[in-house]
Amino acid sequence: MADYDIPTLKEEIDRETVEQVLALDVDKYKYGFESDIESDVLPPGLTEETVRFISAKKEEPEWMLEWRLDAFRRFQTLEEPTWAKLHYPKIDLQEISFYAAPKSFKGPKSLAEVDPELLKTYEKLGIPLKEQAILAGVEGAAESVGTPFGANVAVDAVFDSVSVVTTFREELAKVGIIFCSISEAVREHPELVKKYLGSVVPVSDNYYATLNSAVFTDGSFVYIPKGVRCPMELSTYFRINEKKTGQFERTLIIADDDSYVSYLEGCTAPSRDENQLHAAVVELVALDNAEIKYSTVQNWYPGDKDGKGGIYNFVTKRGDCRGVNSHISWTQVETGSAITWKYPSCILRGDGSRGEFYSIAISNGYQQVDSGTKMIHLGKNTSSRIISKGIAAGFSDNTYRGQVSAHAKAKNARNFTQCDSLLIGDKCGAHTVPYIESRNGTAVFEHEATTSKISDDQMFYCLQRGLNEEEAVALIVNGFVRDVLQHLPMEFMVETQKLISISLEGSVG
Amino acid sequence: MRPAFPVRLGIAEETLIAQLKAAGADQIAERVTVAGLPTRRVEAYHYTDLKTLLRTIPPLAQPANEATGTALRVAGAYTLSIVNGVVQNAATAPEGVIVGKTHGGVLTHRDDTLVGISNGLTKEALSLDLKGAIGQVIQIDHRIEGEAAHVADATKIFVADDSSVVILETFSGSDAAHVGNHASYIALGKNAVVTHVTVDLGSRSTSHFATNEYHLGDGAQLRTLVVHAGSGLARTHLFPRMEGAGAHADVTGLNLVAEGQHSDITMETTHAVPHTSSQPLFKSITRGRSKAVVQGKLIVARDAQKTDAKFMHQGLMLSDDAEILSKPELEIYADDVVCGHGSTCGKLDDDSLFYLLSRGIPKAEAETMLVRGFIAELIDPIEDEALNEALQGIVDGWLLGDH
Repeated sequence: MADYDIPTLKEEIDRETVEQVLALDVDKYKYGFESDIESDVLPPGLTEETVRFISAKKEEPEWMLEWRLDAFRRFQTLEEPTWAKLHYPKIDLQEISFYAAPKSFKGPKSLAEVDPELLKTYEKLGIPLKEQAILAGVEGAAESVGTPFGANVAVDAVFDSVSVVTTFREELAKVGIIFCSISEAVREHPELVKKYLGSVVPVSDNYYATLNSAVFTDGSFVYIPKGVRCPMELSTYFRINEKKTGQFERTLIIADDDSYVSYLEGCTAPSRDENQLHAAVVELVALDNAEIKYSTVQNWYPGDKDGKGGIYNFVTKRGDCRGVNSHISWTQVETGSAITWKYPSCILRGDGSRGEFYSIAISNGYQQVDSGTKMIHLGKNTSSRIISKGIAAGFSDNTYRGQVSAHAKAKNARNFTQCDSLLIGDKCGAHTVPYIESRNGTAVFEHEATTSKISDDQMFYCLQRGLNEEEAVALIVNGFVRDVLQHLPMEFMVETQKLISISLEGSVG
Repeated sequence: MRPAFPVRLGIAEETLIAQLKAAGADQIAERVTVAGLPTRRVEAYHYTDLKTLLRTIPPLAQPANEATGTALRVAGAYTLSIVNGVVQNAATAPEGVIVGKTHGGVLTHRDDTLVGISNGLTKEALSLDLKGAIGQVIQIDHRIEGEAAHVADATKIFVADDSSVVILETFSGSDAAHVGNHASYIALGKNAVVTHVTVDLGSRSTSHFATNEYHLGDGAQLRTLVVHAGSGLARTHLFPRMEGAGAHADVTGLNLVAEGQHSDITMETTHAVPHTSSQPLFKSITRGRSKAVVQGKLIVARDAQKTDAKFMHQGLMLSDDAEILSKPELEIYADDVVCGHGSTCGKLDDDSLFYLLSRGIPKAEAETMLVRGFIAELIDPIEDEALNEALQGIVDGWLLGDH
């Protein structure tokens, strides 16, 4: 018996060892799989025809096409901005495909009919079966299940260029909330779209926003009517899947008087050798006494350990506190992308409005992050708060760039800013570029920033209690970013803590 | 959108280009021809747009026949004068001071238009070699006299190892639309201890530009104080560079701006080697419709481990329609450092004011007391009594509305 058993056991051990070694060798990015789904891809290139094609594909009305063409014409007069502390080869827009849509997406009757590759994707993302059914758009699935995503979360999933499915719409519609893809909103709620689209981020706001205005493909649209507190978290999940495509999504959220909404956004992409472009625009409008909470966990593919590949993430996000006592809060966790260029901002127009920005930006490998916020105080008695935590490891560069300004009429404007940077290793860089502009005597601004490394005392304490170096760093970093983590919705908080540990793997020793 | 190429040049730029070409400074002339004067699109001039602020450039200065006295008298100081860019003969120098002249500009080349103009137009510079513990304050009095003139002058100062000195530079002149472009290059030897104070007391019609470049050797200790209290438009560049272990710089400055004035202090401190420290501290006080700018950048090089740097800017607004603009930047490439910056801005604290009023102090006096308290941090460390008093006098005069 014994003679028989031992080789089996040995084989077993060998297999485990081999597996473990293999596991060590593969890329750390766990979302780096590619889903082999048949899709419609527009040939690369950007011309007026591209814009017309996208508009036609979306069955858009004439006014929307005109809007896009106007943006495209303006785009042609603009130059790519170079002021950010980012270095990358020039992006050739003619090499990118501006439209890609998964083919098999029209209302399967059951999970059995859903493209098995798509189901595999969801499985890898760790989405339970019931939710998979909902996400894949199986008819009746949303009604038959109680609460997917643990708590109440309505999801809009965007694959490459199109929104594939939006869940829980009926339930939301009961209280008057509109939650759908933006292309649908253009067709079905043109009055709202016409009124608000481009009202926060003007068509020619900047190079990437203008490009987005011309070629945006999909994204989410949310309207919360007067006095409604959205009963569940709304969420969008973005994934770039096709090769050499760009994703240009557009999100528009309107919170009418006295309403409240919390919105989550998550992003992933497959690991590829070449760089992919992502240029999104997000517009938030908060009317009188409304509150919008917008949380992002950005985990696009950051490139491999030599800095090859990865997503170029150029995003314009802006919230307009248009009404009195309105409140917009941005929370972001940035761990992915080869390049991040992102400044979620608040225009504090309404008297007594409030803007908040909480950010964690982690860069490792050859990632470059140039991110921050703008708080533009225009109304009286407005206040804002900025908490930014940057962590740089490996060969990365991590820049905080932010602006706080008080207009001459913004009496009693108040701002508090804290930006802390943590450096792990001596090959990375951490930079802070704040612009603080006070244009009236009653404004009170405070700004502080620190840069430091993990102290030897902290490390020693953790190591001495039996943690290994990487665990210790993850623990200390999680403590460092705690102020920001607290502002994330519960579901995101747990995941984010894990994400931070994964992002920093390989940064020690 | 970027301006179409080439940029449209104004009268100021055309005059400037002709002056630069006549002086043989082709490179900088070319730069101005291509790019014009820096606009707010040039990051370092974001808040001080020279293209709109400098509408005309007066002709290059002629030697002056008559000179007014110095604008700031400090008892017991050894005074040297540079009038309309010409170094004047001086009394016998105190022990340890060698006075001389050098030709051409003194600043290290860098990507900056004003620095380029200074190097291009400066014909002769005052040079000082300082050795030993020099007890007397050395005052360099820069004056621009007569009709409106464009002046570029410079000083180059070497402070020997283990020496100590207090240097005061004052800028003043007749009430005309002068443009002054002044440069100071100061090299500090090992363990040298230097206090360098520059005070702008030009007229409201004057535009004052200055660039102070410092190189600090091992263990050198530098204290600088820039005071802007005169010219309608003032901008001082401070470029300290820590080049030896143990070097420390207290880089300080004060913008006193009233109705119609624009003052800008732009600093770039480089920590090039390990074990150095710096403590930049700037304050701005504004009155009326005016603008104060403080931009500061701390650069910590890749191997400058153990750097300890703390940058601070505090703004105090005495009026509702003033602007205080600040940009404190950090650019850090070494990981074992402690660096920070802070920036605050607001008006006089109501509680403090109430405290004083409730004790029977009249409002104007109470405000003066609080402002003096606000500035004390900058002036108190100036140990030379006569100089300290003279500086305090400038602040008091400004509070009374003299300037």
